[in-house]
Amino acid sequence: MPQTPVPTQAPARTPPKPAPTVPPEFNALPIWTKKPAELVAIVKDPQSTVFQKAIACKKLAFVGGKDSIAPMAALLDDPELSCYARFGLEPNPDPAVDEALRTALPKLSGRRKIGVITTIGVRKDAKALDALTKLIDDSDAEVAGAAAASVGMIGGVQASRTLQTALGRAKGPVFAVAARACLLCAEGLLVSNHGRGMELYTLLSAETMPKPVRMAALRVLNAAGPAPEYTKSWPAPTGEAAKQDKSGFLGR
Amino acid sequence: MPDEKKKLSRRRFGRTLAQAGAAAAAVSPAAAQIVSAGPGQFGPVVVGNYSMVDEIRFGGIGIRSRGMSDLRMLLGDTRVKFVAIADVRESARENVKSTVDGYYKNDECKMYRDPAEILARPDIDALLIATSDRWHGPMAMWAAQSGKDMYIEKPGAMSINESYAVADNVRRYGVVYQSGAQRKNQFSFEFAVGLARTGKLGRLLAVHADTAIGLGTVDAGGHSWWPAETPEPDPLVMDWDKWLGPCLWRPWNSAYPDRGRGEFWDFHAGLLEWASHTVAMAQWAADMEHTQPVEFIPEGATFRGDGLIERYTIRCRYANGVQLILRNHTWGGLGSCSNRFEGTEGWVEVGDSGRIEVSDNLKSLVPKKQGTRYDPTAEHLREFVSCIRSRTAPRANADVTAHTHVTSHAAWICAQVNRKLTWDPAKRVFLNDEEANRMRGRAYREPWRAEALATSM
Repeated sequence: MPQTPVPTQAPARTPPKPAPTVPPEFNALPIWTKKPAELVAIVKDPQSTVFQKAIACKKLAFVGGKDSIAPMAALLDDPELSCYARFGLEPNPDPAVDEALRTALPKLSGRRKIGVITTIGVRKDAKALDALTKLIDDSDAEVAGAAAASVGMIGGVQASRTLQTALGRAKGPVFAVAARACLLCAEGLLVSNHGRGMELYTLLSAETMPKPVRMAALRVLNAAGPAPEYTKSWPAPTGEAAKQDKSGFLGR
Repeated sequence: MPDEKKKLSRRRFGRTLAQAGAAAAAVSPAAAQIVSAGPGQFGPVVVGNYSMVDEIRFGGIGIRSRGMSDLRMLLGDTRVKFVAIADVRESARENVKSTVDGYYKNDECKMYRDPAEILARPDIDALLIATSDRWHGPMAMWAAQSGKDMYIEKPGAMSINESYAVADNVRRYGVVYQSGAQRKNQFSFEFAVGLARTGKLGRLLAVHADTAIGLGTVDAGGHSWWPAETPEPDPLVMDWDKWLGPCLWRPWNSAYPDRGRGEFWDFHAGLLEWASHTVAMAQWAADMEHTQPVEFIPEGATFRGDGLIERYTIRCRYANGVQLILRNHTWGGLGSCSNRFEGTEGWVEVGDSGRIEVSDNLKSLVPKKQGTRYDPTAEHLREFVSCIRSRTAPRANADVTAHTHVTSHAAWICAQVNRKLTWDPAKRVFLNDEEANRMRGRAYREPWRAEALATSM
C-alpha cells in the first residue's frame, strides 16, 4: 500500500505585491461595449493605439462581419497585433477569411507565418493544401512543422498522400510532427475512407516511427484484429503428433 | 513490542517492508539496489506492494503554490520517483528542486526552463502539471503526444474546443489523465453521489453546483491591461514570452505572474474556477458524465456590460429533463465547492466542510461520525498512480473532464452573452447563435498550437 507522509513543509512565501490599477488608456470596457461598425473603425484608424486595436480585434472575433476581415488581415504582419488579428479572424465563418489568409501567407515569415499556417489548419481550408505542401520543405523547421501539422488538421486523402511523402524525406523534428499529423489524418479517414485509414495506421506502426505515434497506431490496429496472414490455428495434436507431445497436458 | 509483532497483519507486514525499503533507499544507494532487486533478503514480494519493485518516474511543469501542495503529496507515494522540473521562472524551478532534493537527500532533480526538454526525456513516465490555466490545455496535449501520463490541475482547458481537443489527444495516444478535481475522491461527495446514483433520492430532479466566486471579482480586469513596465525581465530569470504562452500578447508588468491569473479574461477560465469541481460532481451524480445540457438560461444576474457578472444563477437542462443549477448564492453553509442533489424522495447537500446534510427520511443512512474538512488530493493522486500501472481511466479522466468543462464553458458563454442558449451535444454547436458559437474557441498566439512545436520533441 502506498504511504501518506507529508515529506516537507511549504517554504515561507513572501506575500505578492498589491495589484496595480488599470490606467485609463488600458481600460477595455469602453471599447468592448462598442458596436461592430465602431470596432472596425478603430482597427482601420491609423491614430488608434495598439491597445485600442487589440481590444477591437478581440471583440470582433465574436461579432465581426465581412467588413472586419480586410482591416484585421492588414495587421497579420504586425509584431504585436498579429495574434489579435488571428484571434479576430479565426472564428469568423465567412470564406473571405480563408481567402485573406491564403493571400497573406507568402508575404509573411517566422512566427507570424507560423500563426497564419496554424489558423489555416484550424479552419480546415483545403484550398490551401498546395501552398502548405510546399512549406513542409521550408528551411525553417518551425514553419515546416506548422505546415505539416496544418495539413494533418485539414485531413482527407490528398493530405494523407502529402504527409506520407513528407515522411519519406522529412528529418529530425519535422519528421515527428509529420508522423503525428499523419496519425490525425488516419483517424479522420477511418470514417470517410476506411481502407486508406488502415493503410496509414499500418505505415505508422513501423519501428522507425516516433514511439508515441507507433503505440497509438498499434492500439488501433489491435482493436481492428490481426491481418489474415498472421492468423494461426491451434489444432490439438492427434495420432503420432500426440504421442510426441512432451507438454505434459495430454495425460502423459 | 513483542505484542505488536504478534498482531502484525499481512497487510501491515507489507506496509512495513515498503517503509523499510523506502527508508533504506533514502539512506544508501546500495540498500536501494537490494530493495529494487525484488526478492533477495525480503523474500517474495507480497500483498501487491508495487513500491518494492516499481518506480514511476515523474517530471513537473509549472509548480508553485497549488502545485507544491500536490508535489508534497505525490512524493509521499513510494511508487513515485520525481526527477525533473520545468518552469519559466528561475525561482520556482529552484524551489521545487530544493524540496525534491531535500526529500530524497540527493542533488538529482534536473531543472529546465523549457517544458519541451522534459517532454523529450524518454525516461520520464508521467507529469505533474500545475501551470496557470492558459497552459493546461496545450501542455496536456503535448504530454499526450509525447506518450506521458499526466495529473493536471484544473481547469483543464480554456474553451469548449480545447476541452474536446485535450480529450481527443489523450484517447488518441492512450495515456492516463487525471484532472485535479480531487473531490471525486472525498468521502462526503462520494456519499452524496452514491445517494443519487442508487435511487435513494427517488427520481432525480435537479443537481446544483456552487460556482461561488462572482465573475466580476475573479475577472476584475476583464480585457484590460495593467501599466507597461520596461525593461522586460531576463528570460533566464522570468521568460515572459513563455509565461504568456498561447495567450494574446500584452506588455510586461511584474505583477502579472503573481496576481494576474484571477484578474483577467485572457488568463482565467472564469466560471470554471469552481465549476471544474462542482459541475464534475453534479454530472457524476446525474449519470451525465458523457454529455452536456441542451439548454442554458441566465437568471437573476447583475451584469457589468462586458459580460462579466457579479451574482448569478444559470439554469441548465439535460435532454432527459433533469436540471443543472449553477449559482453563487443561497448555499447552506457546508463550505466551499458545495453540491446539492434533489430527487422526488429526498435531497442531499455537501461541501468542503465534510458535513453531510440530507432530508429527514435519509438521515439514517448518514454515518454517525461525520468527517471533517480535509484535503483529498493525496487519495486522488494515489488513484492516478495506480491507473498508470493498470492503464485504466481514473475518476477525473480526460473524457468526463471534457464533458464537465464543455458544460461549464457553455454556461459561462451563456452568462457572457446574457441570453438563453440551446446546445447540441452531438454536433457540439449552439443552435442559431453565431456569436456564442464563435466563443467556443480561443486562437492561440503564434507560434503555439495544439500540436507540439517541431522542435519540442
